[in-house]
Amino acid sequence: MKRLALPAAALGLWGQVLGAQDAVVYGTVHGESVGPLRSAEVVVIGPNLGTLTDRGGKYRLSRVAPGVVIVRARFIGYVPAFDTVSVAAGDSVEASFVLRPSVTDGLPFVVLGPVVVTAAKRSQLLDQAITSVAVVSDTELARRAVNTVDEAVDKAPGVQFLYGQVNIRGSTGYVQGLGSRVLMLVDGVPANQGDRGGINWDLVPLEDVQRVEIVKGAGSSLYGSAALGGVVNVLTRDIAPGFHARVRATGGSYANPPYDVWKFRDYTGAEEGLDATGSYGTELVRASVTGGGWHSDGYRQQDRRDHWQTAAKLDWRPLAATRLTASGSWASDQYETPLMWCTQGGCNDRGQAYQPFMIDTAGRGAFTRSDKGYVSATLERTASARLAWQARGSWLRTDFTDLQQGQDDFGVANRLGAELRGIARPADGRVVTVGAEIARSDVTTNIFTGDTSTTSTVVRTHTQSEFAAYGESEQMVGRARITAGARVDYIAVDGGGLSAVVSPRVGGVFATAHGAWRASVGRGFRAPSLAERFVSTTIPPFHVIPNPNLRPETAWSAELGKVTEVSSALRADAALFWTEAHDLIEPNVNLGTVQIQFRNVARARLAGLDVSLAASPLTPRLTTSLAYTFLYARGLAHDTVPERPLAFRPTHLVTLSADYQWHTVSAGGDFRYTSRFERVELYPGDERVAGKVLDLRVGVERGPLSLRGRLANALNYIYNQVPRTLAPVRTLSVTLTWTY
Amino acid sequence: MTTRTRAATFALAAAVACNQGLEPALAPTSCPQGFVGVCGTVSFVGQVPESTAKLFVVAFDTFPKSQNDLFKFKPQPSPPNLPLGGPAFFYTLPLPPGRYEWVLAVWQKQGTLSPANADSLLRETGFYSDKGDTTEHGSGIVIVNPGTGTDSIDFVVDFNTMHRVCFYFPPCP
Repeated sequence: MKRLALPAAALGLWGQVLGAQDAVVYGTVHGESVGPLRSAEVVVIGPNLGTLTDRGGKYRLSRVAPGVVIVRARFIGYVPAFDTVSVAAGDSVEASFVLRPSVTDGLPFVVLGPVVVTAAKRSQLLDQAITSVAVVSDTELARRAVNTVDEAVDKAPGVQFLYGQVNIRGSTGYVQGLGSRVLMLVDGVPANQGDRGGINWDLVPLEDVQRVEIVKGAGSSLYGSAALGGVVNVLTRDIAPGFHARVRATGGSYANPPYDVWKFRDYTGAEEGLDATGSYGTELVRASVTGGGWHSDGYRQQDRRDHWQTAAKLDWRPLAATRLTASGSWASDQYETPLMWCTQGGCNDRGQAYQPFMIDTAGRGAFTRSDKGYVSATLERTASARLAWQARGSWLRTDFTDLQQGQDDFGVANRLGAELRGIARPADGRVVTVGAEIARSDVTTNIFTGDTSTTSTVVRTHTQSEFAAYGESEQMVGRARITAGARVDYIAVDGGGLSAVVSPRVGGVFATAHGAWRASVGRGFRAPSLAERFVSTTIPPFHVIPNPNLRPETAWSAELGKVTEVSSALRADAALFWTEAHDLIEPNVNLGTVQIQFRNVARARLAGLDVSLAASPLTPRLTTSLAYTFLYARGLAHDTVPERPLAFRPTHLVTLSADYQWHTVSAGGDFRYTSRFERVELYPGDERVAGKVLDLRVGVERGPLSLRGRLANALNYIYNQVPRTLAPVRTLSVTLTWTY
Repeated sequence: MTTRTRAATFALAAAVACNQGLEPALAPTSCPQGFVGVCGTVSFVGQVPESTAKLFVVAFDTFPKSQNDLFKFKPQPSPPNLPLGGPAFFYTLPLPPGRYEWVLAVWQKQGTLSPANADSLLRETGFYSDKGDTTEHGSGIVIVNPGTGTDSIDFVVDFNTMHRVCFYFPPCP
């Protein structure tokens, strides 16, 4: 131990000596008309140096790198405040805040305002982003009392989930989890599955999520493949100094079918879960650990699920301008696989044309085991006021086994990635971001084998390597910020030749007296997933055959948007968007050969309008917001196929939110209207309806305890969005959180 | 309550008032209005084999000329199921408008079906026939018109008399 103690002490002393050149930011945080706020969070944005205020509302950040920094103060129930301060080495600068009360921590979905986002690969004020960005705050996540990230993100403007598949302005539709056209990041690290390209929304425990940023439109100029329709960045919590703990217990029940003829069990389904988080931090090092799990009976036949998860994060700040972050998580699920609902003759149909709560007898007994996890490490260094860089490495692993009648399919996939990024401010008003990224995905599987036989005993391994370099520059020109950049990706499959994809983007933001205009044009792409290239399985009676020659999908996206502060309480954001997609990868059914194969066949056009209005407050204590998306989504004519609507895209998407706060009690709700899909696949003759889902919530805070109730789909509206698959019914859940 | 609050409350109430989701739908006894395809009653004879995976109904626009044509059935990809025996059953088979030469029930044995093992896993177990049909295969010609369903395409499923694929395309192995 002594041998270890000496270097450690030396390291600390070295840090202190160098720390003498650091700056200090100090001050107080008060609530308007209530005095000092204890435990308010104060953070230097960028290096994410943070602390909490003491009993007197005072704080001190002692290891601030010299330069211009943005300081944010926030406290639950108040609107966050920001300040930009300039600090010199060894200097002490005061930045005090008086926070304005809010019904919530900002708006239900913060689409406006001075929020700093990182989804553009560096910190910037939200109204300086050249594309639309929606932010779901941690307060919003907590208030919704949900279990996974997707349940909370689902109501963000312009975003829609179809049975776990995320759509940003209609980007993906529904392709049964294969090949998401949205890239998921965890703290900026790509986290789409290495084999199927889909997204595991339960990869990160919700307890560890600080906020979620949703960047709309093509993001490949910075992020490469999969960012065709947008990017979802899940940001984990910063660890505060001192000891902190949080325990979250959830219980709930599912509504029974609203009609006796649909009853499928003689008990009421329930769900229950427990999570615990503990963290400890000093100025030098901070760490947190989370563990938990939940069980659900499901809301329909053969829908039980068990979920276990653990996560950890380590944050080491040996120098004021240097930060090393390591984090990881592991989640394991075992769930029954509810296949499509049964139709007349397929189960005990009781004389009904279909039974939405039951599944076909032939599909009974199917279940899936799915494990997934990641580890990542990021080293950030602010070399000077004009230069910062970071390096990161990551490993994502997914492992699934589908156990079905007749055959078991499995896939074990890894995705190793590394990135080096630099951010320079060579002159006032100019920011340059450059970087290089490499990734290698592999899968060992009996379903994505590339083998043309029908047997499931063949096991193969396939790999995909990606090499990329990117750069983007932002230049202030008067009141405008002009941005231009590009990324080039080289992709090689199974060690073969490299194919290149170039993704440029230009854009700008022009500030006005009451808001800002923004415009951008960019190219996005998605490389075919290993699953799409090499899938070889049977969907009776069809044989799904591989297509190793698939090309990347590409799309040009353009956006013109305007944010306007109509009054002190009313803000509006509107954006026109237009996407022209080429070489879309879709399954092609050949009746002659009885085969299905993924092919580059379709051209598509997605255009529309995103509008959001946020009134904060509409009346004292009441905050409301309205978001509307109009979407024109057409598959363009090709070969013998005429122009037609893209499947699984709603023309109208409306979200209404309202929250009322009275002292420590809050109540609110969301209403989501999704127009009836113009076209669906597989069973176009089935009856389909619009989606009308009302979620209600109530919460009360008392000291360290928080009690929240949620009534999802309060009207028990019975509907489906993907073929013959019932959407969640009314679910009542209660969440008790204790925070230390 | 202020005017703005009332307006917001009213708008929300109006939006949620139209709660018309999916509702129970009785299995039809004749082709439903607007349905395009064929409908009829299937009656059952014999005991269902224990190795049964499922029973379904399909249609061919031209009678298969080879084993390779067997998978050119409609509707794709998943034809409607029939119950495994029991009382007479009214089925609906959605089809595009056109002329169909063979409407039949197919019995499927447990196992993973593929074109290669179709002969061992599939059996023809009954089909619609029309005494007026003079074609070689002797089935009935069914016409599906646009915008309407064709009723009374009745036939018997006989689990005692099921035919392998090689019955139609010999020789049997």
